[in-house]
Parts: sequence; C-alpha cells; structure tokens
Amino acid sequence: MGCCDVKNDPKISNKKGLKIVALAGNPNVGKTTIFNALTGLRQHVGNWPGVTVEKKEGIMKYKGREFLVVDLPGTYSLTAHSIDELIARNFILDGNADVVVDIADSSCLMRNLFLTMEILEMGVKNVVIALNKIDLAKKKGVKFDIRKMEKVLGVPVIPTNAKSGEGLDELKKAIVAMIDGKITTNPVIPVYEEPIEREIEHISKLLTGTVLIERYNLRWLAIKLLERDEEVIKLVLNHLGHGKMDEILQHISELEQYYKRSLDIVIANQKYEFIDNLIHQFVIHQGEFKETLNDQVDRILTHPVYGFLSLAAVFYALFKFVFTFGTPMQEHLDALFSNLGEAIAPYIANEMVRGLVVDGIIGGVGAVLSFFPLVFLLFIGMAILEDTGYMARAAVVMERVMRKFGLPGKSFIPMVLAFGCNVPAVMATRALDDERDRIITMLINPLVPCSARMVVITFLAGAFFQEHKALIAVGIYMISILLALLSALLIGKFIIKGEESPFVIELPDYLIPSWKTVIIHSWERSKEFLRKAGTVILFGAILIWYLSNYPVPVGSGLSYAEKLGKALEPFSMLMGLDWKAAVSLIFGIIAKENVIATYGILYGVEEGEQALAILMRNAMTPLQAFTLALVTTLYLPCIATIGAIRAEGGNKWALVAVVYNLALASIIGILVYHLGFFLL
Amino acid sequence: MAKLDNLLELIRSGITNPKELAEKLGVSYEEVEGMIKILESMGYVEEIKFGENACNKCPLKSICPGSCIMFKGKIYQLKKKDFALKR
Repeated sequence: MGCCDVKNDPKISNKKGLKIVALAGNPNVGKTTIFNALTGLRQHVGNWPGVTVEKKEGIMKYKGREFLVVDLPGTYSLTAHSIDELIARNFILDGNADVVVDIADSSCLMRNLFLTMEILEMGVKNVVIALNKIDLAKKKGVKFDIRKMEKVLGVPVIPTNAKSGEGLDELKKAIVAMIDGKITTNPVIPVYEEPIEREIEHISKLLTGTVLIERYNLRWLAIKLLERDEEVIKLVLNHLGHGKMDEILQHISELEQYYKRSLDIVIANQKYEFIDNLIHQFVIHQGEFKETLNDQVDRILTHPVYGFLSLAAVFYALFKFVFTFGTPMQEHLDALFSNLGEAIAPYIANEMVRGLVVDGIIGGVGAVLSFFPLVFLLFIGMAILEDTGYMARAAVVMERVMRKFGLPGKSFIPMVLAFGCNVPAVMATRALDDERDRIITMLINPLVPCSARMVVITFLAGAFFQEHKALIAVGIYMISILLALLSALLIGKFIIKGEESPFVIELPDYLIPSWKTVIIHSWERSKEFLRKAGTVILFGAILIWYLSNYPVPVGSGLSYAEKLGKALEPFSMLMGLDWKAAVSLIFGIIAKENVIATYGILYGVEEGEQALAILMRNAMTPLQAFTLALVTTLYLPCIATIGAIRAEGGNKWALVAVVYNLALASIIGILVYHLGFFLL
Repeated sequence: MAKLDNLLELIRSGITNPKELAEKLGVSYEEVEGMIKILESMGYVEEIKFGENACNKCPLKSICPGSCIMFKGKIYQLKKKDFALKR
C-alpha cells in the first residue's frame, strides 16, 4: 500500500509472478509507442483500482523469458496534485517495479529530467533511461555524450527512436540485464542549499526510529514534508505522533520565513538549477541558435502594432472571402426560394393558407435561409484561422488591447466564440474563475456580432452599400468590438471592481489546415443555423405573418404588427427608424435573423431577398440602413443569450445586460443617425 | 537563478506571450513550455478549459450540434495559491 489514497495492486494481473517493468515519463514522450513495441499485441487494458484512469499492461518476451510491462500514467512530476501523479508515484514507491524505465524526450530534456530526478530521489536504484526522439534532437542540432550522461546520472541511458524502432533491442537488453542484477547503478540525486539540506537531515533523523525506514526512503519523505505534501504529512503523523510532527512543521515554517516562499517552489527551483548544471555536462549544442520561420512569423503576428494591423487585415480578408464567394451562392439560393413560392402558390386554393406558406414561411424563413452560404463560409474562414494556429496569436494581440480597457485577456476566447453564437460564449465564461472577469465578459459578450447578426449586417450592407459592403460589414464589427471594450472599461470601473488574474497563452505550431477537418467543423457549426431556421425562425415567421395580417392585412394601419410598431415609432424615429424597423427589432429578440424575416413579411415579398433589398432601398436611406444594422447588432441579446446570462450570472446580471444593451443601442443609434444626417 | 520563480513573476507582471517570456528568461520557447508544465503539475498554474461542461447546460443544446468551441491554443492562469509565502 502506498502513502496515499490510491491503491495499486499489479499482482492482480500478475498471477505468473513475472518480473515487472514500469514505464514512466512525461505525457507525449512516445511512452505508448515504446510500450507497444515492447509488448506487441500481448496487451491488456483496464483501469487502475478504484479510479477511472486507464491501466495498460502487456507481456514483453525476451530470449524465451516473459516480463510484465506496466505503462504508468504520463506525468511531469510526482507531487500529489493529480490522480495520475499519485498512481505513478505510489506504484514506484511501493516497490512494485523490478525496473523503472524512465522515457525522456531528448528534444526537451529539462522538463523530462525533472521527473527523472523525482524518481531517483525516491531512492529507486533500478532505473533505465530511454532517451527517446533522438532523431528530433538531432534535427535541432542537439547531441548527447551518452557515456558522460550515464556517468553523471548514474544509471544506464539508451538512445531510442520509438517510431523507427531504433535502440529498442538495446533497451530490452538493458532491462533484462538490470533485472538479472548484471547492472549496478549509482543514481545521482539533487543537492539543495545548505538550509534545506540541514532540515532534510534533521527530519530524516527524527524518522529513523520509525518503521517508515523499512518501506520508504527517508530523504524523500523529508523532502515531501518540506513541500507540505498532505499525503506524506498524514503518513508520517501516523508513525511519529503530534508532538514530533509539530516540531517538524515549526521548522518548516521557519525555513519558509527564511526563503519568503513556500518550500515546494524553493525545492523545485533548486532541483531545476541542479538539472541545468548536469545537462551542460553531456549535452552538446551544435551550431548557433537560429530563429525559425515560425519565430519570425510570430514576431510580426504578435507584435503590438504589426500584430494588430495583421489582425484587422485578416478580418477584412475574412469578410472579403465571405462576400466574394458567398454572394453568388446566396443569389442562387434566393432565386430558388423565390421560384419555390411562385411554384407553390397556384396549388394552394385557400387564401389564408397560401399567404401563410408563401409570404410567411417561404418569404420569411427563405429570406433568412438564403444567407446560409455566407454563414457557412464565415465558419470555414474561422475554422481555417483556428486550424492554422492563428487564433492563439490573435489572442496575444487582443489581450494587450483588452488589458488597456480593464478587460481580462482570457475573455478573448469567449469573444471569439461569440462570433459564432453568443450563447456558448456566455457559457464559456464559467472557465474564468474570477467573478469580476466572468461578469464583465458575460455582459460584453452580446455586443460581439454573432452569425445571426451577420445575416442582418451582410443583408443591409449588400442592399445599400454594393461597392463597399465588406468594408461596411467590417466597420460595424469593429464599432461593436470597440463598444464592447469601452463597456468593459466602464463596467470594470464603476460596476465591478477587482484585480485580474494573470495568465499565459501557449502558441501552437503553425499548421496547414486539413480541408476535411475544416469542412466537417464548419458544417457542424452551420447546422445550428439550419436547425434554428426550422424551429425558432419558423415559429417567429408564422407569428409575424399572423400579427401583420390580423385583424386586417398590413397597410391598413390596423394590423397588430402595425399597432405595435406605431406605438414604438416615436422612440425609434429618434434613430431615423420607422415602425417596420421597430417591429423587426422586437421580433429579432426571438432570434436576430428574424429582423430580415420580419421585413420580408411586412413588405409582403414573395420574390426573395433581392426583391426585399429593392423595396427597402426605396423606403430607407443608406444612413438609416447603417443605423439599423448597428442597432440590431447592439440592442437586446436574443432570448437564448438572456437565458444563458441568467443561468450563469442570475437574474440581476441578466437584467443589467438587457438594460445596458438597450440603453447603449439607443444612444449609439441616435448619435450615429443625427451625426450622419448632419455630416452627409 | 530560480527560473521557475522568475517565470511565475513574469506571468504575474502581465506577460502572456510565451515567446516573450522565453526571451526575458534567456531560454528556449520549448523550455518555457516545459517549465509551465512543471508548474502546472505542482499546482501553481492551471489550464483554463473553456468548453468543458458548457454544452450540458446550454439552452440551445437541443438544436446545436455542440461544435461551437473554437480555440486551439492552451491558456494557463496563475492559481490563487500564491507562490510568495502566504499559506
């Protein structure tokens, strides 16, 4: 039994009493490849007792003999912070393994040797190091003096390339020789600064009189006590009693005061430094360090100025791509719905049903569905940016800007998600553990234009600004994002105060995107748009058709829709928007695409989105259209988003989001319309 | 020298770009990645998982295919556990 709650009992599957070989190492060092190469198809996969962590065992055959190979979970150290580490640590600590093969990635040796030192520090003597990915290290210009390495570390080192099989026979040979006692080792262990060493010695002496000495390496126990490892504290307390344990804890506190740090980080620092000194004795770096193409590109894309310009250019290119390739497809789809309405109309005798199907369903839902190509292309563009690794760079650039506005940089991810849909973006804020970060991000998220609002923006930009539609669309996106940032500043300053929790963004390598993955992801994401069209938008279209045709058809001034619109018109006219816009915005709360669907029904358009554009151009100025696009982007979040904010933040913040967005949209709408009217 | 300590200090100072961190520490980008992994295993930094469990409570669950989470890089934040002496 180990020192901790996780129990290991490898003998359950070791009825033959085979000698046991444990494979340890960091994640992604090629441990599984080596395990497969050593065991072939003679494998068994199960779970570690009591936990749902995969346990892989297999039989290694060598010169007619059999050995049980156990693949331990990949870990970076052997602290007690994760179940994986506890499993690996206890397995080794309990002396289950006759040989521990420590698989180290030679292309990034520092982090790998950190684990090696933790293993050696446990007092384990039978360790073989498999120096894997040796080909990758060579490519990086790193060479190893293996003999020197063996001498310095005091254990055998076998260079391997698990993928090609290089060195695996030598590894098997070394394992068996170690089991047979033909190899003697003298493992190196980290030496710490004098105050730490003195305390290790003191604690070790206190532990000498206990039975712990029979099962554990006392130096390891002492180090773990200094690190305040809770599992080890529990174990030692059982054997030492409160009196002596209190004495130890008192000494630890004094040492912590001396270093002004928790001792786990002090010990880790000194261990890291110890490894750094060791490595220089056997690692030879060939040639001078050269900046890779990857680094050079990153230098530009993450630069405070060039990076931001690149980001603006990338988003402009994204919209140019969406419009250039999407508009012709949209026109075809639009014509298809128009023809469908014309084709169906003669077959429906009942006037009311004909009106509902042709004007309401085909006119309303069809006007929205014809934008599917644009939505699909937007998702393709974003999937490409994601797959190439650009998004992480964009996050670094945006983080700097966001920080200036008091917005947590981490919010960039929910904001990226919001381009697709605000709902998952709001849900994603739960990953931000700081309450202030979470609430601010949640409140500004609805200001990021989602794909539903892209439909409205692209429709109005295309209908009123033919030549510069991409520029107008990007402009509206930029204004929305700027307002989101300013809102964050405002909310952070006056509503929720606090400090941001620091973070770091890992930059993935640049990759050429796989078209298959891009298409599949984009299709999966676009499916939501289609499903929405068949549910929420269809429901909205039927409702709008009813309200605009009862008790008398629209145009008489007596339909429910007109009455509603006319009631709101005095306010909407402050933004230059008539009753039709007011009604459209009301129905846009169900789903933003309904703004277009409503216009289609109110105008009684049967011939598709192109006909609607012509009718709207006759009734509105480009300034009014721009204001409408901006107000649609900024005003109330859709019902689903309000629901998500309520679920994540409660009624209070859902109400704040509604009131704030409504107020902001009204102010901006009035300002833009009147300033535009004055300037143009 | 205290490289791990220095890395934590730099992250705390607001540097989020690991390449900038590597430059400041005078080590390679890969080494910074490794140091972050070690600090993660020690509980000093933690990975933020944006998509985790979000779909389960999403009101659009019934109509959404659940592939809305888009971000390839990993983000690590300093945990509340302070590396300067507090506990």
